[in-house]
Amino acid sequence: MVVETQYYVLLSAAMFSIGVFGLLTRRNALRFLMSVELMLNAANINLVAFSAQWGNMTGQTFSLFVLALAAAEVAVGIGIILVLFRNFRDVDVTEPATMRW
Amino acid sequence: MVGAFDFAAAIPMLPFASFVVAILAGYFTPRLLPKGGAVPGIIATGGSLLLSGWLMVTVSGTEHYYNQEIYTWTTGLAGETFDLSFGLLLDPLSSYMLVIVALISFLVHVFSLGYMNDEGETGLPRYYAGLGLFSFSMLAFVMASNILMAFMFFELVGLCSWLLIGFWFREPGPPSAAKKAFLVTRFGDYFFLIGVVAIFATFGTGLFAPRGDELGFPQLTAEALSGEMAPVVADFLGTIGLEPQTWFALIGLLVLGGVIGKSAQFPLHTWLPDAMEGPTPVSALIHAATMVAAGVYLVMRMYGFYAQLPRILALIALVGGFTALMAATMAMVKREIKQVLAYSTISQYGYMMLALGAGGYVAATFHLMTHAIFKALLFLGAGAVIIAMHHNENMWDMGGLKDKMPVTYWTFLSGSLALAGIFPFAGFWSKDEVLYEALIHGLNDPILLLAYAMGLIAVVFTGFYTFRMVILTFHGEARTETAEDPGSVRWNVKFPLVVLGTLAATVGVVNMAPVKELTGWDITYLHHWFESGIQTVTLGEYHHLLESAAGYHAADLAPFLPAALSLGLALTGAGLAWILYRGPDPTAHTDKLGSIKTLLYNNYYQDEYQVWLAEGVTMPLAQVADKFDQGIIDGVVNTISSLALFSGSRIRRLQTGRVTNYAAMLTLGLVVIVLVVALIGGWF
Repeated sequence: MVVETQYYVLLSAAMFSIGVFGLLTRRNALRFLMSVELMLNAANINLVAFSAQWGNMTGQTFSLFVLALAAAEVAVGIGIILVLFRNFRDVDVTEPATMRW
Repeated sequence: MVGAFDFAAAIPMLPFASFVVAILAGYFTPRLLPKGGAVPGIIATGGSLLLSGWLMVTVSGTEHYYNQEIYTWTTGLAGETFDLSFGLLLDPLSSYMLVIVALISFLVHVFSLGYMNDEGETGLPRYYAGLGLFSFSMLAFVMASNILMAFMFFELVGLCSWLLIGFWFREPGPPSAAKKAFLVTRFGDYFFLIGVVAIFATFGTGLFAPRGDELGFPQLTAEALSGEMAPVVADFLGTIGLEPQTWFALIGLLVLGGVIGKSAQFPLHTWLPDAMEGPTPVSALIHAATMVAAGVYLVMRMYGFYAQLPRILALIALVGGFTALMAATMAMVKREIKQVLAYSTISQYGYMMLALGAGGYVAATFHLMTHAIFKALLFLGAGAVIIAMHHNENMWDMGGLKDKMPVTYWTFLSGSLALAGIFPFAGFWSKDEVLYEALIHGLNDPILLLAYAMGLIAVVFTGFYTFRMVILTFHGEARTETAEDPGSVRWNVKFPLVVLGTLAATVGVVNMAPVKELTGWDITYLHHWFESGIQTVTLGEYHHLLESAAGYHAADLAPFLPAALSLGLALTGAGLAWILYRGPDPTAHTDKLGSIKTLLYNNYYQDEYQVWLAEGVTMPLAQVADKFDQGIIDGVVNTISSLALFSGSRIRRLQTGRVTNYAAMLTLGLVVIVLVVALIGGWF
């Protein structure tokens, strides 16, 4: 059974929107990181879906790269969050607001 | 063959070496410096004098002249622009002047032993370094082969005068006098600098005399005015769109600005009397051979250029005649011996300018030489008197010094007779020739006649102030205790006085024009001297130019009547002084002049109006300019920058530092972009 491409796209759009919603409404840094992961993987679903539709392997290869990138990003993100916690005893992202002019 | 020309560069370099020695040894090992630097200075200027004499003999004997580049310090683009270089021009005029300058500075160095060393002055290495640099600058200026080099050494001379006038810088007067001398002459030099640039721009060369195939600018001027304009000159005149005659006159005027400043002509003469604040030997050097002579010498050096500009010549004559008269009137009422001499210097340089303007080239050079001798003599004589009077310069405190210092008296008298122009002293022959030249050319030209008349009246005043000075200083009874028991002077004061005193009495023999007229003997040696020289830089060429280009024609007049007239006037002035001030206790007759005396004593309020020009006119103008600069020019810039600062301080509030806000803005931005693309792309 072949699933139509538009369902994949719909799923991806839904995941992306959930990710954006989480990014805009949550204050916990860990949730931020999860939201970002959701958005990245929404993009991955798109890549794989279109790759399957056109029978072209480039998109799937690309999604592997994105996964690797996401892993690296999480490593950096967790590091930042650790420092954040050490400094503020909290992982609330609205708390540190001094990094501006 | 090694000749005098090979050593010519050593003439200025010897005093320069003495300057270096005095400065370095004076700083590091003052005890090793003999007589505080006087000995190296005397040796150096003595060497310069010998070399100059050799050079003069070479120039006269072999009819060989030297005009070579010695060092090019800026090379121009080949074929398009010009080179800037130092060069030496050794011809009758420069070798003649070199001897005068070297002689005077040698004698001044010797005299300084008596005036500075024996009086126990401090800072002697600085003094002798200044004298050495002064002599160096003037000697190099005299030898300069192009006008840029001349300008550079002209400026150096001004710098040295500043150093030496302000020698006693711990007292209040000398530093301010030094600044005044520097600034007033600099005001004139500013025009000279523009003139130099104009000459280079017009002619593409600054040479005074032709060198090989290369013409100097006076020769290019002659070509341009006779219709065979060189392409470079034609190009330039085409660009600025002026008639050659007008433009050349403008250049002549600009250069004349420097001459008027340095040679202390009206209205830039005010620095010179103040310069008396310097040590007396320095005054002698400034007035006789260096500095003041530089201006007049510059006109002589480029006389081939000026001889073609009748209007500028008339102006030179008028300024000269007026200065001669005005300065002579001011000299009549001064109380201090050096002040009288200062004004007489201004007056005598006025005569030289008068001669140059009236076409009397030989008369001017002759008077320059005799004046250098008798004015150096008078200043050194005054210096001897000042030593004896323990540095009191007021003539009313002197009197009766005749018997106590006979050498000084007789030599000073010789110089005074020369200054007043009494037969047969040197000044008579030269001043008579100046006035004679002005008269014979003035008979065809009312402006020159006016200048002559002013020069002639000044003769009476000259005789008067000269003998007023002599009688008040040396005759009558001693009026103070110092004058009754004056200090003594040594050989180092008497030797220069005797040399100069002898010369002042006899040097007139080099050019006794009236005697030639009377007897037919060919004894006008100075005329013959200047008739030789580099082609087109000779007396014959100048006369030719004066007649053809400037339209000067000499009237046919025997020299006896004018000579008798000026001698009579000089004797009248001298006699008047004798009648008024003789006797043991002279009265101050000039007080009877009342308000005129006040006017003369305050120098016609020349200083006051120049100060007013500076404070009342220039300063408000400068303030307006400052307002414009600060308010409008800077204002625009400041407004723009403060606008940027203000808007920046408002816009930066977008940056909250909260990561949620940034994320929201990113999202919103993306939405907006998508909407715009959608609207433009027509998705809806």
